[in-house]
Amino acid sequence: MIHPSVEAFGLAAALLALGAALVHRLRLPPLPAYLLVGLALGGRLEVEALEPLPSLGLLLLLFSVGLEFGPDRLGQLSHRVLRAGVWDALALPLGTGLGLLAGLEWRGALLLGGILYVSSSAVIVKLILDLRRATYPESEVVLGVLVFEDLVVAALLVLLGPEVGSGLLGGVGLALAYWVVARRLGPLLSRAVEGFSDELVLLTGAAMVGGSAALFHVLGASEGIGAFLCGVVAAGLGLRERLERLFGPVRDLGVALFFLTVGAQALGLLQGAGWLAASLAALGLLLKLPLNLRGAREAGLSPKRQHYAALYLIPRGEFNLILGALALEQGYTLVAQVAVMLVLASIPLGSLLMRYAPDWLGRSRRPGSSEVQRVGRSG
Amino acid sequence: MRVEEVILPGVGRKYTISVHSGDRIVVVVHHSGQRELQYFEKGELEEPAATLDLTDEEARELGAILAGVLFAPEAVGDTRAKLAAETMEWVKVAPGSPGAGQRVGDLATPGAHLLAVLREGEALLPNPHPDTVLQAGDTLVVAGPRAAVERFLRRVSA
Repeated sequence: MIHPSVEAFGLAAALLALGAALVHRLRLPPLPAYLLVGLALGGRLEVEALEPLPSLGLLLLLFSVGLEFGPDRLGQLSHRVLRAGVWDALALPLGTGLGLLAGLEWRGALLLGGILYVSSSAVIVKLILDLRRATYPESEVVLGVLVFEDLVVAALLVLLGPEVGSGLLGGVGLALAYWVVARRLGPLLSRAVEGFSDELVLLTGAAMVGGSAALFHVLGASEGIGAFLCGVVAAGLGLRERLERLFGPVRDLGVALFFLTVGAQALGLLQGAGWLAASLAALGLLLKLPLNLRGAREAGLSPKRQHYAALYLIPRGEFNLILGALALEQGYTLVAQVAVMLVLASIPLGSLLMRYAPDWLGRSRRPGSSEVQRVGRSG
Repeated sequence: MRVEEVILPGVGRKYTISVHSGDRIVVVVHHSGQRELQYFEKGELEEPAATLDLTDEEARELGAILAGVLFAPEAVGDTRAKLAAETMEWVKVAPGSPGAGQRVGDLATPGAHLLAVLREGEALLPNPHPDTVLQAGDTLVVAGPRAAVERFLRRVSA
């Protein structure tokens, strides 16, 4: 007898593959296709049968965000990139102000501020890789800004944990405990792990991610932060490349399913969403553009690249959904609706703008020069 | 030549290399091992004149050629010639090293071939007889699979 989740998984994977194949022909990145496939399926997709893969996908996503965008990266950023990060961070107080104007209390308004502020490092990195933009100067600025954002939002998540009183205490306590462990036992642990086989590292890593998430949850803190901190600690142990290599494919599969289920569940959540939610989401998209243009100018990019940088930072994703889920738990349905709308709209929109920006913006300035002579191409 | 290195979180490392002529090359080394190269002509800041994608292996081969390792211009010192997985090494027997004073036959290592011994002031000694005794200052030419050659070199010069 076959378990029903196997059928659900097979079907979901096939639909995802179909979606990815369709957009691949258009030379577009696959992530928005996953969301749209989910949206098209709506309630017909058995989300529960797919568990735990989507939840694990999100945790592993946050784990790799912690691996790559941890606090140690902050020291490696140049001053000009940091300035862009500070300009970008103004979106947090501005978004919070919008929330207060919309009649939310400070907690809901802060959650909204975070949701409008943070862009998705996972989605943007994937887009930069898929669209082959890593060599261009705007990517350096954008990735630096993302490091900044992720740290601010991680701190915000610790402060706004699911349970109001104990969550804050638990979150701060655990974060400190992880920091002390990484500091004290770091050299010892990294020596030990060097002798581990790949399989042992994979299993230990998975246990750490799942265990941390559960531990944070039990203490009333955000489980996402548990996974994120796990990544930060692992990066501190010098395991960045190894874990990235080992977890990459597993994570990508889980993330695809996660975005599928986000799409499928979106319609249910958005029922009854009014103009207020829609206009807040739209304002959120617009809010960051001038800030990022200004930041990119401070970072020394040329006018064309300033526009690219601002467009690259449109996609929202993992942290917005986590903040949204938190808002829903705490009774701020409006805020959760804004989060889902933002993610649904910004990923396809941001991908399209990123994909076509060089054609539109590049051509108007120097006709013909955007045709780059491609000498070789592989994988 | 000026080289700047920056970390691209989630992507890899980016090197910007400015050479004497004023041209620039930007190299991104991805976590996946893939390399992206862009070439900018002097004075051009925005659009690369050419781009090139390399796999990890291709990048290493290219790097070896650029470093002059793969097709060495001169056969002196410990020049390495790389013939697929096979290798050829020139090694000098240092005074006091385990190889000095040994019979060639005693150093026999499966897979490694001692092709010739070069001795200062003497004619080249091709295919040395097993009874040939090595002296400090000799230069040995060894060929074979890399692992075997390296085993042989360890026995000679430890």
